[in-house]
Amino acid sequence: MESKINHFMIGFAISSILRRGVKSFFTLFIFTSLIFLLSSILFISNSIKAELGFTLKSLPEITIQKLQAGRHTNIGINRIDKLLEFHGVVSAIPRTWGYYYFEKAGVNFSVVGIDSFDKQYKNSFESFVEDVDFDELSKNSSMIVGVGVKKALNDNYYKDYFNFVKPDGELQKVTIASTFKSSTSLESNDIILMPRDMVLDIFGMNENEATDIVLSVANPEEIPTIIEKIRNLYPDTRVITQNDLRVSYQNIFDYKSGMFLALFIISAFTFFMIVYDKASGLSSEEKKEIGILKAIGWKIDDILKEKFYEAFIISFLAFLSAIILALFFVYTLEAPLIKDIFIGYSRLKPTFDLPFVFDFQTVFLLFFLTIPLYLAAIIIPSWRVASMDADEVMR
Amino acid sequence: MLLTPEVIAILILDTIFLLFACFAFYISIPIALKWDINSTSAFQYGLEKKAILVATIIKYIFVLKLPLFLFFIFTSDKISGVITGAMCAAGVVNSVDFGLSLFIFKILNLYIFGFWLFLHTEDMKDEKLKFTKLKFTIFIVAFLLLITEIFYEISFFTSLDVDKIVSCCGTLFSAASTSTISFIFDISNPVIVTAFYITFALYLITFFLKKESLFLASNILFFIVSVLSLILFFGTYIYELPTHHCPFCFLQKDYYYVGYALYITLFIGTFIGISGSILSILKPEFSQNYYRTSLIFNILYTLIVSVYPVVFYIRNGVWL
Repeated sequence: MESKINHFMIGFAISSILRRGVKSFFTLFIFTSLIFLLSSILFISNSIKAELGFTLKSLPEITIQKLQAGRHTNIGINRIDKLLEFHGVVSAIPRTWGYYYFEKAGVNFSVVGIDSFDKQYKNSFESFVEDVDFDELSKNSSMIVGVGVKKALNDNYYKDYFNFVKPDGELQKVTIASTFKSSTSLESNDIILMPRDMVLDIFGMNENEATDIVLSVANPEEIPTIIEKIRNLYPDTRVITQNDLRVSYQNIFDYKSGMFLALFIISAFTFFMIVYDKASGLSSEEKKEIGILKAIGWKIDDILKEKFYEAFIISFLAFLSAIILALFFVYTLEAPLIKDIFIGYSRLKPTFDLPFVFDFQTVFLLFFLTIPLYLAAIIIPSWRVASMDADEVMR
Repeated sequence: MLLTPEVIAILILDTIFLLFACFAFYISIPIALKWDINSTSAFQYGLEKKAILVATIIKYIFVLKLPLFLFFIFTSDKISGVITGAMCAAGVVNSVDFGLSLFIFKILNLYIFGFWLFLHTEDMKDEKLKFTKLKFTIFIVAFLLLITEIFYEISFFTSLDVDKIVSCCGTLFSAASTSTISFIFDISNPVIVTAFYITFALYLITFFLKKESLFLASNILFFIVSVLSLILFFGTYIYELPTHHCPFCFLQKDYYYVGYALYITLFIGTFIGISGSILSILKPEFSQNYYRTSLIFNILYTLIVSVYPVVFYIRNGVWL
């Protein structure tokens, strides 16, 4: 149906781009950097989303928190027996954890208590408990720390141990048994693992209290019913499911990349103006060229086609090189500077590897966001140029 | 309001389309009214130049609309993960009242804009440009449809509500539902299958008769019956589930994206058949190649769609 691609015309377009070397290079450069920035942001957000999704799978189906005056407080362990009576609930485990603020480094550690006798709720912890003799940990009052924690402590000369300050002002000395590395570093970087009774001690918590309770449910179809029952039994609780977390992660990251995209629109619009302007303002040289082409028999359509080839070559080249650059920047250089937008400025968080995620949907998205914009900017100027009369231009 | 990067991309492109289409519409009114190829006035000369600009703009819109339509479905599929109750694009599209109309407009516009380009190519080959007036009259109608579609789409994305519970495709496409399309479930399986193959046979007969008007009619009929039979019968074999009638779920990864292959072959087959026949009627010396292209794609579609029930029967020894 469409006329075939004209190779001579493509050749002409390429040589025309090269003839205006500096001008074309300038456009190419700006367009490449624009697409590069945008694609880096989208790649990073995809990676973090993938990593969180991966973490999410290892989380329990239902998490129950107690609310008091609208705030999260500790939940009584005695509720577990009631919860276990619900049909479909496989296990209910109290979790004891919290944040410990380490002032010197200005970071929060996530302190997690583990109980070797309880069934462990996380696969990574489970394999870890098997690795190291857990009884040794509580006997020597020692802990296992994440890589990031280890580094923060080292920087402050806590090589072998750390002094936790208890609520009553006393010091609790805990030795570092080993470092802990999970298959996903995002979750384990700031974690400190230690026996549950020590965590209770450090946070000044009651023996029969826990931070929250996690339930595992055999049949995911039963989750809504179980949630309903929990809400009826304990109206003061907040029940969070895996799906709730997934949706909120998705929303947060869509929101963040959406925010960035809103900024992108402004710069893209500026770029649009630049291209439009560049394409409309022709030097007398170029006008003469159009005149000669028309004089030797080119139709308006032919000139438009040639202009389109030119624009497509430039924009596609910019698109390809920007994506390759962004892939290199994000996955080899670990996206310095830009990564902070997504993970915040906490000093303990930044050191983790972005997993390689590459989906075609993102590439299509980038394509739709960039190339049509460039082509749109040149349509009207090109037509204006192409429809000039030969005799008028050559005069 | 849901502002994911995908939605923003679609909205940006919609804005560009809207601006360009309005501009083209403004230019095409004098062309449609006052085009006179025999005139030698400067006005006519200007119109001829402007006609090329409008054609370029429409080409631009259509070439982008085609992949954008697939991207739209893809996006709706993705959003379905966030909206409560939705499991695929069907739930998302139906979360607003005009979802179905948006979809029909999208498909209709694809056909019309595609046909416009077809007509345009033929027009440019003709030294008397005899279709130009017709072409621009069609565009004025197509413009109104396009504007409606764009406004539907913008209000679709702005009225998406994350907290609203929508129906999943399993309930939308079932006999028990009260949705606008549920009446088609009164047709029983044997009837629709026979209807599908009879239409296909009719299509083949008109192919050999080489009569444009009949071929045109059989293509339109084939398209409608194909979509209906896909929802009512063939879909259930793709899912291997007698109760699942959704025309969107097989666009997802779990079914190896087979839906894209189905819809693309069906679209190309019927589109070339329909627009080729219309062009032939308008211009008797038009090349007859479109018969073959249309035939190839429609046969391809029929083959893919027929393979599913046959394979199911061979494997399990029973029909669903």
